[in-house]
Amino acid sequence: MSSKKRILVVCGTGIATSTVVAKKLEEELKKKGIEVETRQCKAAEVEGRLDGINLIVTTTPVPDNLGVPVIRTLAFLTGIGEEQVVEEVAKKLKEGGEN
Amino acid sequence: MNLNTIVNGLGVTVLLPIVIFILALIFRIKVKKAFRSAVIIGIGFIGINLILGFFLNNLAPAASKMVKYTGVHLPVLDVGWPAAAAIAFAGKVGLFVIPVTVLVNFLMYVFHWTDTVDVDVWNYWHFAFTGGLVYALTNNIWLGIAAASIDAALVLLLGDWTAPAVQEYYKIPGLSIPHGFSAAYVPIAIPLNWILDKLHLDRVKADPETIRKRWGIFGDPIIIGLILGLVVGFLGNINVLNTSQAWFNILKLGMAMAGVMYIFPKMVAILMDGLIPISEGVREFMKSRASKRKFFIGLDSAILVGDPAAIASAMILVPIAIILMIIIPQNQMLLAVDLAVLPFMVVMTIPITKGNILKTVIIGTFIIWGGLLIGSNLSPLFTKAAIQAQFKMPATATQISSICDGSNPLSWMIVKLMNSGVGIAILVAIFFVFLYFYRKHRKAWEIIAGASKEYLEKSE
Repeated sequence: MSSKKRILVVCGTGIATSTVVAKKLEEELKKKGIEVETRQCKAAEVEGRLDGINLIVTTTPVPDNLGVPVIRTLAFLTGIGEEQVVEEVAKKLKEGGEN
Repeated sequence: MNLNTIVNGLGVTVLLPIVIFILALIFRIKVKKAFRSAVIIGIGFIGINLILGFFLNNLAPAASKMVKYTGVHLPVLDVGWPAAAAIAFAGKVGLFVIPVTVLVNFLMYVFHWTDTVDVDVWNYWHFAFTGGLVYALTNNIWLGIAAASIDAALVLLLGDWTAPAVQEYYKIPGLSIPHGFSAAYVPIAIPLNWILDKLHLDRVKADPETIRKRWGIFGDPIIIGLILGLVVGFLGNINVLNTSQAWFNILKLGMAMAGVMYIFPKMVAILMDGLIPISEGVREFMKSRASKRKFFIGLDSAILVGDPAAIASAMILVPIAIILMIIIPQNQMLLAVDLAVLPFMVVMTIPITKGNILKTVIIGTFIIWGGLLIGSNLSPLFTKAAIQAQFKMPATATQISSICDGSNPLSWMIVKLMNSGVGIAILVAIFFVFLYFYRKHRKAWEIIAGASKEYLEKSE
């Protein structure tokens, strides 16, 4: 039985661009039939918030070697390439397998 | 019952949602989505009002006791960018800032005065904030709107100017950062950096990772708040430290400040959530009009702020800021909420210093020094703007400001100049002189802002 996937959405303040991205991701993934739970945080806090996270989607640089796949994208802010990013997110979540 | 009574009677929590709803419909957003986002914006204001009241009611009495018993004279409370943004959007200028900025950007783009299409609607609040200060000063709504427009126009130029530099350093092709706060410091950082290079300080390298590990706690806003609350509480109770009640109060104030640092941004997130559909509407509108020639998409500097050099510099600047606030005699501001936002101050300086932390910290120190004085100087207008935006100030006479936008040198310059006919003429002249010389020597200017010759030649 698979649990809901959790995406950590990261940005500079933890509330600015990450709010936009988190909402969009939830909406678009739901259309594809994927239920996700999103959490938001700032880049400086990432290391402490990795518990139970399947994927990180960020608009700002994050440290390397977090042990969780990271997708860095501005597509949700520029409106360019959103489809592709949502596809990539869906793919990475499926690759993660059951938790 | 005239328009004024209605406007004042409804207040911002009803009025701004109505304005946003109409704007959303104009940008062709579906009625249901427009309605929901309008209501959410109102809720965001309610949340911000709650936490701002909590913050002021807890900190103000402690701060005035601190002044009374220790002579540390810091009566102006830093309410931070969440409050500044709320005050900006809630003020009369805020009601107009979105269409006004879109118009200014559109006209400038059409006249080939800018290549930036600023879709970062959330950050239009900086322009509304400058306009709000001018409105508070002059009581003239047209001057307020004009001030917001000039602020937007200058920031668009700053965005263009720094575009190659940030694109190259932060690897963000096709974007620019017309950020009312972060971009304002570039004209100051450039000469300071030049001086520091002459002193050969670019040879001193510091490692961001080590700094993050050692100074890490200064990166966590909750800890910053806790420490601040404990320190102010301690100083405010210094004459009664032998009582247990004093210690209860000190601990409670620590928790209260930690709470504010955590909860305040979350309330702002509600506000931003409401703005998302409009933001997208503006973006699609501007992109469809701009596709004739190359343009940069203007975004929030928040996308850069995870950079290790920016974070490391900001961490070191937190204790420096606290020390400066105490030792500078003309400073009246008690830093609080905005201690968490120092990365935004330095993030566009980094391409200029090429990621050199020592130089960035030194430049940051000067910026904060100036910022403390500006913030203290602007606090009467800041407070008046808040009252005009119908935020409840506590019973004790409290002045507020912020080290973020309350201390923005660009806003300060505009506020001081918009007060007179001569000043306005000077401002307009500044804009055109800036535009003329920048466009004439574009490449040289962009190199000064941090881009490399190779990058500029590649993008031609």
